[in-house]
Amino acid sequence: MKIINLLAIAFVAALGAGSPAASADAPKVKTGPVKPTPVAADLEAGKKLYRRYCTQCHGDEGKGDGPAADFIYPRPRNFTTAIFKVRTTLSGQLPTDHDLFHIISEGLPGTSMPAWKKFIPENDRWQLVHYVKTFDELGLFKEEPAKEQVVVDAAPKMTAELVAKGKDLYQQKKCWQCHGPQGRGDGVSAAGMKDEWGFPIRPVNFTKSWRFRGGDRIEDIYRTFTTGFNGTPMPSFVDAIPAAEDRWALAAFVKSLALPQKNAQVLKSGFVIGEIPADPYAKEWEGAESADFPLAGQIILEPRWFQPMHDVITARALYNEKEIAILLEWDDGTNSKGEGKPADEVELQLPIGDTGPVKPYFILGDDKHPVEVLRWSAKDGLTRLTAEGATKLNPRETGGWVAQGDYKEGQYRVILRRPMQGKEGEVSFAPGKFVPVAFHLRDGDNGEEGLKMSLSTWYTLLPQPATPLTAYLWPFGIGFIAFGGEMWLLRRMRRKPAAGSS
Amino acid sequence: MMQRWTLYIAAGVWLAVLAVVKFAVTPPMPASVQMIYMTLTTVAIVLFVAANEARFQAFLAPLKAVFAGRAPKLVQALVLAGIPLLAGWGAWLRTAPSWDAPFEPRVVHPEPPSSFNLHGQRIETATLKNPLRAANEKNPEELEKLAQEGKTIYYQNCFFCHGDALAGDGHFANAFSPIPANFRDVGTISMLQESFVFWRVSTGGPGLPKGATPWLSAMPVWQNFLKEDEIWKAILYIYAGSGSTPRTWDEETKHENH
Repeated sequence: MKIINLLAIAFVAALGAGSPAASADAPKVKTGPVKPTPVAADLEAGKKLYRRYCTQCHGDEGKGDGPAADFIYPRPRNFTTAIFKVRTTLSGQLPTDHDLFHIISEGLPGTSMPAWKKFIPENDRWQLVHYVKTFDELGLFKEEPAKEQVVVDAAPKMTAELVAKGKDLYQQKKCWQCHGPQGRGDGVSAAGMKDEWGFPIRPVNFTKSWRFRGGDRIEDIYRTFTTGFNGTPMPSFVDAIPAAEDRWALAAFVKSLALPQKNAQVLKSGFVIGEIPADPYAKEWEGAESADFPLAGQIILEPRWFQPMHDVITARALYNEKEIAILLEWDDGTNSKGEGKPADEVELQLPIGDTGPVKPYFILGDDKHPVEVLRWSAKDGLTRLTAEGATKLNPRETGGWVAQGDYKEGQYRVILRRPMQGKEGEVSFAPGKFVPVAFHLRDGDNGEEGLKMSLSTWYTLLPQPATPLTAYLWPFGIGFIAFGGEMWLLRRMRRKPAAGSS
Repeated sequence: MMQRWTLYIAAGVWLAVLAVVKFAVTPPMPASVQMIYMTLTTVAIVLFVAANEARFQAFLAPLKAVFAGRAPKLVQALVLAGIPLLAGWGAWLRTAPSWDAPFEPRVVHPEPPSSFNLHGQRIETATLKNPLRAANEKNPEELEKLAQEGKTIYYQNCFFCHGDALAGDGHFANAFSPIPANFRDVGTISMLQESFVFWRVSTGGPGLPKGATPWLSAMPVWQNFLKEDEIWKAILYIYAGSGSTPRTWDEETKHENH
């Protein structure tokens, strides 16, 4: 039965692809017939599965209005208009069944849509594909299903020339207008963008490739340029960049911008002889080891913040005999200085004094274990606060702390510095001593202020001491002793048989 | 027959255990625990080899061949140079500073307190039962309805961390340490009683005893956001949704009797 269905579908699909009407409107891009759907629809089964796995976000009627919908960004897809972003079909067309199957199976990176292949069997995922299509109010899936899909050839080798060519195209074709000169999603027209449904949408930051909805392989990026993201301001570039090799070049350039995350538990501060550079763009900072710390929305205390803009902060640290300096780096598509909207802010959280085995509560401490918060705001610069829990924040004088911050091409860089030796009510830094640190970020343009922020749990900062001489001497000593032992054994064992002859 | 390979088999077993301890176990165990396993392995191998005189001599034979000069010249050179180098390298591993974060021992499922506060009332943990499950023991339809209500609560409060499929992999999960519980894992809710889960949900991270690092846990104090029956409903859902059942004392006595 199944095989007959399959054959029938394959036959229809082959007919569709062969008809002149289907191929006439797509002369520029190499396309091929849509792959047949391997599993026939059982809408009752699909409905059951949909109720179990999908309604919480996409809603009982597929309107993208489930109970969780208001708490996630980006919002869940509304299926009733049959507009889908990640497809293998030409701009404006419906997705293929395989496209929908791919999204359900692999999820959408950077959103709360998980990869369901881990939890739902393949056959059931196909039933979900069939069922999701029933929400289409205009009957488009019946009337004008996609008959052709874009053929993505083997990717060319990613060479420096190809990337350079892509960089030129990025300039020429004004990708920077939305995605920014360095691809950090900070273009001049980035702010205030809306999708087809009037919900806010931001151009993607090309350095955060782990968030690319369609995947971050070069083939995925090429496919996105070719098909566009229906329902969003991201168009297909088939008309603007007709040559496939040019789109491959642009894909290679975008791929080259990706900065893989380097998560760490310890922020290691390197030792420098002489002054620590005050300029956050100084080359000494490039040499300092960087560490990425993932952030989440503050959803633990009221007011809970479910739609944070920031998901990571990068930190580096340097120290000399007198001072320690921490460079905090994060991307923000909008430079909000507190005009009309809250200002962009970063906070470094430290314990007050030395902690034993018990640390302060990771969100702003508590009565017994207060914390120190160094806040740098794009509007007011540095403020220092003492916190005994989220409701007890008291500003204090900045003491030995100095801050210097700058915003350039979609990225903030802020240096916080202080003498190594802490005063009364401050933690002291010393080579080899681990000090707990935590981070907070706020994107003013996204309405973030106070507890509406992204935060991390505790990590540790370590001024990394020089490796002591004994660390080198021991291995040599032990190796030498082992060698001596060997020689002794050797002589002993070889003397015996030789004793008679000499 | 196999005896002449004793040294090589011993070395092979030792390396295999090392590989398992270092790479096959997830999440990776702390270096100090790895050290304990390797010491035990070494002692076990030495004891086994030394327990039988013939085996012990077979074990030593290849080494004797090298030291007495009977082995091929190349093998002699490799072994004689290799031993001091290995010893030096081993010493370097010990003396080289690693700068890993200090190891913080943490009790994953701590002993619940005998009683705790819920909305200003004292709750006895030992006698605590899920009232919704108890009242609907013979009414699976009603229980299912309550679990469905719990599902809505779960997706408005919990899924950001504990995940769409209750696998502890929500979109905020990777920012928190300790990581959110995976309800599909047999080591979490299915080995716990509902009263324990209720205590953990109601009092959250700050309600943990000291040994369980309450200052690190991102679990909110849910009694600040949810009513008592809402917490019970959410608990019904995490069991139903993950296909697990709570541990009960009745079950345990049954096991003991059989």
